[in-house]
Amino acid sequence: MWRNYLKTAVRNLMKRKLYSAINITGLSAGIACFILLALYLRNEWTYDQFHAHAAELYRIRFDYGEKDQPVTHTALTPGGLAPVMKDFPEVKHISRVYPLATTVAYGDKVMNENSFLYADPAFFNMFSFPLIAGNAATVLSGPNMIVLSETMARKYFGTTDIVGKTLKINNRKEYQVTGVAIDPPANTHLKFDFIASYASLGKNDTWNSANDYTYIQLASNTTASALQGRLTNLVKEQMGNATRSGVTFGFVPESVPGIHLHSISLNSTEPGGDIRYNYILTIIAALLLLIACINFMNLATARSAERGREIGVRKALGAVRGQLFWQFIAESTLISFCAMVLGIMIALVLLPAFNNMAGTTLKLGLGSYHIYLWLAGIFLCTTFFAGTYPALFLSGFRPVQVLKGRVMHGSGGSIRKSLVVFQFAASVFFIICTLVVGSQLKYIQHKKIGLDRSQVLVLSGENFNRQMLETFKGRLLQQSGVKYVSASYDSPVSVGGGYTIGNLEGKPADYSMNITAIPVEKDYLQTMGISLLAGANLTDADIQDVLKEDKDRVYHFFLNETAVKQLGWTAETATGKRMVMNGRAGTIKGVMKDFHFASMKSKIEPIVVFPEYEWFGEILVKTSGDNQQQVIAGIESIWKDYLPAVPFAYHFMDEDFNGLYKSEFRTGTILSTFSIVIILVSCLGLLGLAAFTAEQRTREVGIRKVLGASATSVVALLSKDFIKLVLISLCIASPFAWYAMHQWLEGFAYHTRLHAGTFLLAGAIAIVIALLTVSLQSVKAALMNPVKSLRSE
Amino acid sequence: MIQLQKISRHYPVGFGKNYILKDIDLTINEGEFVSIMGPSGSGKSTLLHILGLLEEPSEGQYLFEGERVDKMNEKKRTQLHRGSIGFVFQAYHLIDELTVYENIETPLLYKNIPASERKSRVADVLDRFNMVAKKDLFPNQLSGGQQQLVGIARAIVAEPRVILADEPTGNLHSDQAKVIMQLFKHLNEQDKITIVQVTHSDVNATYGNRVIQIRDGHIQP
Repeated sequence: MWRNYLKTAVRNLMKRKLYSAINITGLSAGIACFILLALYLRNEWTYDQFHAHAAELYRIRFDYGEKDQPVTHTALTPGGLAPVMKDFPEVKHISRVYPLATTVAYGDKVMNENSFLYADPAFFNMFSFPLIAGNAATVLSGPNMIVLSETMARKYFGTTDIVGKTLKINNRKEYQVTGVAIDPPANTHLKFDFIASYASLGKNDTWNSANDYTYIQLASNTTASALQGRLTNLVKEQMGNATRSGVTFGFVPESVPGIHLHSISLNSTEPGGDIRYNYILTIIAALLLLIACINFMNLATARSAERGREIGVRKALGAVRGQLFWQFIAESTLISFCAMVLGIMIALVLLPAFNNMAGTTLKLGLGSYHIYLWLAGIFLCTTFFAGTYPALFLSGFRPVQVLKGRVMHGSGGSIRKSLVVFQFAASVFFIICTLVVGSQLKYIQHKKIGLDRSQVLVLSGENFNRQMLETFKGRLLQQSGVKYVSASYDSPVSVGGGYTIGNLEGKPADYSMNITAIPVEKDYLQTMGISLLAGANLTDADIQDVLKEDKDRVYHFFLNETAVKQLGWTAETATGKRMVMNGRAGTIKGVMKDFHFASMKSKIEPIVVFPEYEWFGEILVKTSGDNQQQVIAGIESIWKDYLPAVPFAYHFMDEDFNGLYKSEFRTGTILSTFSIVIILVSCLGLLGLAAFTAEQRTREVGIRKVLGASATSVVALLSKDFIKLVLISLCIASPFAWYAMHQWLEGFAYHTRLHAGTFLLAGAIAIVIALLTVSLQSVKAALMNPVKSLRSE
Repeated sequence: MIQLQKISRHYPVGFGKNYILKDIDLTINEGEFVSIMGPSGSGKSTLLHILGLLEEPSEGQYLFEGERVDKMNEKKRTQLHRGSIGFVFQAYHLIDELTVYENIETPLLYKNIPASERKSRVADVLDRFNMVAKKDLFPNQLSGGQQQLVGIARAIVAEPRVILADEPTGNLHSDQAKVIMQLFKHLNEQDKITIVQVTHSDVNATYGNRVIQIRDGHIQP
């Protein structure tokens, strides 16, 4: 019996090539996208769950905030926290993690390494990063010990058999290799190439700055809330006298597996995933598969006229509904099996491109049986979802009617139409989203952000002291094409430093305000093109003030408009006023026009720019943009004179800026890519339906043509119904899209507006695409010789 | 064998009813060869469909071997349908995707007959109809007469007691029609299969042993 079903199914498939092609292509596209998205989402949802002790692992969050001001949550904790917590009975293991990009040298191989962490000895006991070589308990037990990832071991040594060898770190110290770890998986927030022992840093366990991550593993008989209680007590004991009323200061354990999607902390080791985007992608994945299944249903029921006779005959020969039902399920199974095989192949081929787009390193993992369970699940779902309705519908035909030649033209029409409307509503929805996201991204990139980030090269300032920097700057400025050179603590487009200002002239003595601040070099404002509303640029004399001995030192501050406004001053009145920022006393030298120093998701906050020559993370070189390559080569040769052992590396500030919107750009790309797939798959379905409608109406078209209808009017006749459906879907999709995009844009403090034009454009796109699809068939029908079509009837 | 009592078939038109068949009383005995004749739209085909359980009467009783068909449960009706009734259509209605062999085999599949028996029964029928050479051809590779032969072969393979034929020669030219009618006669006489055919042709009607004239839904006396 099944052989018979299958035989008919195969022959049907071969006979209707267009129909089969549409079905298989559509379904396989849906399945391929579903597989890719499922892989991605699985990666997102399973972040850091692979650790054997995942449930007991916590990262300590640090919360602080001045009175009446928003609390800052950060993942960075004081280095002094861990030594204290170590003695808590709730803590089984504890490890600080301190990331520090540096240079690694082995022989004449010298490279900049960004994924370089320092960690305490317990690190490999706590986290399940298996070691190929070395003992997890001891690899980080003393100073100047280092563990490499497998890839790095091969990169530097060409082998993993390297325990006992040494690497030169940051051009100074020799570290001994004590272990090699398997490369960390894609789904961990603690990705590393190198892990060196924390003791190598020789840092003091300070409470005055917060630059370390603190991870703990809970003891087995305790809970996170017990730990929380102890942390609260700790703050009371340690900070008792320092904490004033209304000031927030506290430590909170955050579960490690939850960090990626749920952490509210700033400054994590890698940017967290956005759970909302994951929901959206889940919906997209489901929709894609659904739409492909809808194609299948629609095409199958549209063919009812054709299959009707066969059904009638089979029933007359004694088939009952159940038997016919299974026959049609067999056909669906065959088609979805072909689609499945094709879909897996497509997914495999597209996986590298997808990884590139999503910034992931996903693998299909055909080696483990899990994936086959998954694929089998997708296969069964598709088959039953796509196959059940047509099978029920077709097997329910009454034989007499079909055999009498009463063809079921209209049957199932309204359901079919609703399904087409649903498909196109989804398409229109995604067209609108793509357009809006695109225009917001364009807005972000083209909005004047108050500083000129174009053609600014960023070099690392880490290895320069003040004198070196001075002469380096002088030589750079002699290069043609270099306009300004300056330096700053961190990137001007994402400033992090948290400070507090107080002792403001004309304000009560206990008044203070949280503020972001950035230590800079003299020519910073000119280099970045930040304009002043009041005051003047820094002079050499100002710098001399800052370089004086402690007691004579005088600082010069630049506040932005927002800060001045918040203080209740104007640009003019603020200039010249005295203030103190974290022990730095000085005067306000000028007021800057507002500029964006963080993502446009947040409003512009108060910021202070001030010269201080302690440490510069970044050297900024403003170039004219002409002869770029030559200018960069020139800079490199000067760099070599200063730091021959440090590889020259640079990037453009635009990249830093775009990095702020990485997840938005990624969303944009993913959204537009999958929107296109959704639209294409929907169009495939429409193409199939149009083909069958045209075929069904062959006789009508023939008669109309004999009566004198023009080809144009026939095309219009055949296309009209479909266009109506697309218009209805536009009406349905628009409010949903409006709501969704409104919500999304609300996430940005600075955003474009939703225009009716966007919706009209989306509608126009949908109609044009639908029209093109449908007319392909209608034109064919319209141009057919009527004599032929009438004779065949 | 077959008894129709006061059988009517109607469908609603506006507030009234339009009768296709009205108060049909008919008895067909085992081994008869009955021809139903009448003009187009007189209700011949509907009568045949009711006899073949493809359509249900609106009123009246249908007894098959003394048992009321309308009282039977679904399973029993299906059994009756599969086991006792064979259909032959004017337009042959072979399944295009199946070969001659598979078309003939289909009713046996639905009867859940084991594969080995299916094979021998289909082989018998093919042999008897001299179609062994054509068994792997598809319907569109056969002439109309040959297709109808397959249609008949398919109808008798399940060894029915009654064959219901709806204008079996309507699409054939007279030579082919003659072959088909002789085959029916043979089946009726040698195999004792009861045959009910609908036909327009007086010539075809002469092959049978009884003619029923039907007009406007009534049997003419």
